[in-house]
Amino acid sequence: MDYTNQKHPQNYSQMEDLKTLDLEESVSETIMRDLRMIAYKLKYVLIPKEQEDNGKELRNWDLWGPLIFCLALAMTLSFKADSTTTSSKSDVFAIIFVLIWVGAFVVTLNAQLLGGKVSFFQSVCLLGYCVFPINIEAIIIAFIGSYLPFVVKLIPVIICFAWSAYSSVGFMASLVPPHKKKLAVYPVFLFYLFLSWFSLIV
Amino acid sequence: MDFFQEEEEEEHPEQKGCCAFLTIKYYQPYFNVSEDDVIDRVKASFLPFRKDFHERVAGNPDLWGPLWISATIIFLITAVANINQMNLEGQTTYSVAYVPQSAALLYCISFGTPVILTLVMKILGSDIRFFHTLCLYGYSMSILMPITILCVIRNSILQWCLVGYGMISSSSFLIMGMRKILGDLEQSKRYIIIGIVLAMQFSLYLLYKLVFFKVIEKNSTE
Repeated sequence: MDYTNQKHPQNYSQMEDLKTLDLEESVSETIMRDLRMIAYKLKYVLIPKEQEDNGKELRNWDLWGPLIFCLALAMTLSFKADSTTTSSKSDVFAIIFVLIWVGAFVVTLNAQLLGGKVSFFQSVCLLGYCVFPINIEAIIIAFIGSYLPFVVKLIPVIICFAWSAYSSVGFMASLVPPHKKKLAVYPVFLFYLFLSWFSLIV
Repeated sequence: MDFFQEEEEEEHPEQKGCCAFLTIKYYQPYFNVSEDDVIDRVKASFLPFRKDFHERVAGNPDLWGPLWISATIIFLITAVANINQMNLEGQTTYSVAYVPQSAALLYCISFGTPVILTLVMKILGSDIRFFHTLCLYGYSMSILMPITILCVIRNSILQWCLVGYGMISSSSFLIMGMRKILGDLEQSKRYIIIGIVLAMQFSLYLLYKLVFFKVIEKNSTE
């Protein structure tokens, strides 16, 4: 059953039917359905060719995906924290976690203040999904980074940063009037640059 | 928030109401700039004794600059301080604590000082515009961008010189920006305000140097 295409229940008894269906299915089915939804959105957001309907799919925003990627990034970066930083693991975890959510919040607020008419959570959802390439680069560097010279480490960092930024910039730039586009896009760059910097050095 | 609302209400009708400052609409008039405006304003803030900045900002103070200039400086401080932590063998231990520290320092000074100044000025009976002062303070931070980038060079004397230059430049920029308001005050009250401005700038630059750029001498072991 593809939950994303479910029609809204027309009356109370249909709603009850849906609830019992959810309750009757096994936990693994529920989890797999949510994971499939996240994977579908991820493909949609990160692969430009999928976006033929100009971002309408993003109206079904969810925050599970961003939460998973945020936790994964924070855990990856705090994994090696004792050996590469003077801060403790929990400090690194906390800073990355707060940076991602506060950063997404402020970037979205910025777009709204510049006159963009966007749903707040839609934008946070998009920014959260676009953290996925930073996740990839953090994992690459965490596992094989100590064997590579600094310059070689820069290559996946730059590629993943460019991928994240490019995926989210199109959406952000379309929200605001043309003469304010760079003002809405620059914070997005800064946000992913910050996260890329941490995945490079930690 | 009455202190901050008086003059603004005539110009911006969406700012009426007791809790209007909690809505987004209240702040939208201050984001009415284009990218070229922002770049011009930043360039103008590097030259404190010319009138460019005040002409450009006159009727249209913006909050985009203060917010994102400080955010950029937080990133630059984190990056440059981490680079400075690399010792000569290439083994590195970094500190991520710079992020909350620099965020607290920069945002307290660039948003807190205008609040203090506005309250003091209102008590002294002056006609100060809160958002104008906020804009002024935000753009005065922009000199920290080139200073931070140049602090990659690990030379104690150079860093102190840069920090000293930054302090003089930003203090003059702020005092020139507030010249008209200060001119309306009495002599003794003027010195109180100038004293507050200088004290805050001094503490900003001193903390900036001491917390983020402790230079590690080549022969020390850490």
